[in-house]
Amino acid sequence: NEELWVQSVLEMPKRRDILAIVLIVLPWTLLITVWHQSTIAPLLAVHKDDGGDSRRDLAAGLDSKEYCLSERDIVEVVRTEYVYTRPPPWSDTLPTIHVITPTYSRPVQKAELTRLANTLLHVPNLHWILVEDSQRRTPLITRLLRDTGLNYTHLNVETPRNYKLRGDMRDPRIPRGTMQRNLALRWLRETFNRNNSQPGIVYFADDDNTYSLELFEEMRSTRKVSVWPVAFVGGLRYEAPKVNAAGKVYGWKTVFDPHRPFAIDMAGFAVNLRLILQRSQAYFKLRGVKGGYQESSLLRELVTLNDLEPKAANCTKILVWHTRTEKPVLVNEGKKGFTDPNVEI
Amino acid sequence: YVYSRPPPWSDSLPTIFVITPTYSRPVQKAELTRLANTFLHVQNLHWVVVEDSPRRTNLVSNLLEKAGLNFTHLNVETPKSLKLGLSWIPSHTPRGTLQRNLGLHWLRDSFSNTSPPEGVVYFADDDNTYSLELFEEMRYTRRVSVWPVAFVGGLRYESPKVSPAGKVVGWKTVFDPNRPFAIDMAGFAISIKLILEKPQASFKLEGVKGGYQETSLLKDLVTMDGLEPKAANCTRVLVWHTRTERPTLVNEGKRGFTDPRVEV
Repeated sequence: NEELWVQSVLEMPKRRDILAIVLIVLPWTLLITVWHQSTIAPLLAVHKDDGGDSRRDLAAGLDSKEYCLSERDIVEVVRTEYVYTRPPPWSDTLPTIHVITPTYSRPVQKAELTRLANTLLHVPNLHWILVEDSQRRTPLITRLLRDTGLNYTHLNVETPRNYKLRGDMRDPRIPRGTMQRNLALRWLRETFNRNNSQPGIVYFADDDNTYSLELFEEMRSTRKVSVWPVAFVGGLRYEAPKVNAAGKVYGWKTVFDPHRPFAIDMAGFAVNLRLILQRSQAYFKLRGVKGGYQESSLLRELVTLNDLEPKAANCTKILVWHTRTEKPVLVNEGKKGFTDPNVEI
Repeated sequence: YVYSRPPPWSDSLPTIFVITPTYSRPVQKAELTRLANTFLHVQNLHWVVVEDSPRRTNLVSNLLEKAGLNFTHLNVETPKSLKLGLSWIPSHTPRGTLQRNLGLHWLRDSFSNTSPPEGVVYFADDDNTYSLELFEEMRYTRRVSVWPVAFVGGLRYESPKVSPAGKVVGWKTVFDPNRPFAIDMAGFAISIKLILEKPQASFKLEGVKGGYQETSLLKDLVTMDGLEPKAANCTRVLVWHTRTERPTLVNEGKRGFTDPRVEV
């Protein structure tokens, strides 16, 4: 009995030993938990309303077989693990592609940005600059951008509506997206130092066009301004730069005004960031721009025809399509609205 | 984590068989390109592309090869008589029917009913827009799962009516809400097991009233109370029935301006 009693006393840990162990082990446990979650969390899609946090906690690094959860719980744990929306890992050697997308609120906006994001998520070293035509950055866009996992900058500037009513009859409107694209250019010039060596390419991508993944790799090697064909513009299957045997652009294969200095669509060129920073006064002209001349209004301040770099197999391949989305018919909403306006589309 | 496109196949995840009917027109390549860009994020996805054409075209073949997706490339041409609705009964063959049925037929040919693979079938038209979340919602469908779809039925979205007990009890639509399944093609997915169990279930070809195509298939597979509501009990929109404008090609003129050998 005495032996047993002594044994049990020796086995009983002293209170201060317990305290010491806890104080040492606890910080490490916390550290490891936090570190683990922060590396796993970006891989998981954010589940918005329904206890997303708790599910993420469950899913982080768990082997679902270990837990005696109900069938429904296990299903949800496994589900969360496999939704990945992370872009490819950032590379130190690839120039960054800054994609400038103006956007405005309308029913199909979220759909357009969702499928655009799904494309952009494949492109390494991509920085998405989304500029809303609005007074304030909207929650819809804020949430969408955050949920994609993309590298992004969220800006906004509202195109004044009353420009329509002002005196100048020749150009009653600012072409849509102009102020937004200009704001992005200004942001780039304010954010990046002219002497900074971070190589970058600037591309204007409207939210309803269609982009192949190949296009982004073609533009990455832009030294000054690179160009390529664009489908479904100018009333044609595609418009394309004319490229001679020496690989130089010498004209434009278009029906509509082929004598424009740059008869090319917004989606048909990319500019090296260095050039944007050097020519810090080059912007899209706001007013007094004839239809089809918006691109020229910027490019003529940046480059000459001779300096253009043709891509896409000397401008013989189509890698981008100027698609447009139909306005959905919402006639059955009626006057008061049929669907729940709190449900975001 | 090493990024790869598509993500590596997993032996434990149910497969999502996506059946997409497609037909040749100027925007076809663009539509399939951006669709592929979405599918390339989804694990264990098998894309069944069914062309409405007498032969499999180079455009689609090349696109599928280059994309890197797991795919099956089929084709069946809708006979002209069906396309023009020459039947004297005032109804029509909705586009894509023969193609979707061929997709179902291929599944039934490829997999046995006795040991069906874990997975679902989803009908994805080539001009809609799909969020990545949608595919994870449908992956664990037991029989038939359903969710809201934006831009159908003249509404911001149509949606199943879900009771507090989590059962589908009706349809929140303006157009014919009393249809047995007042739901768009993009609003449901069916487990492979069920497709293989009911080999006679197909989309009806002729005599289908507008809006009843989905019903013509689903009525042979499931009843309303057997439906599984997804997307937070059908309160969230994860798929949009977008439509693409036909491009203006007026400047091509009679003889064509652009080089026809350049694929668009």
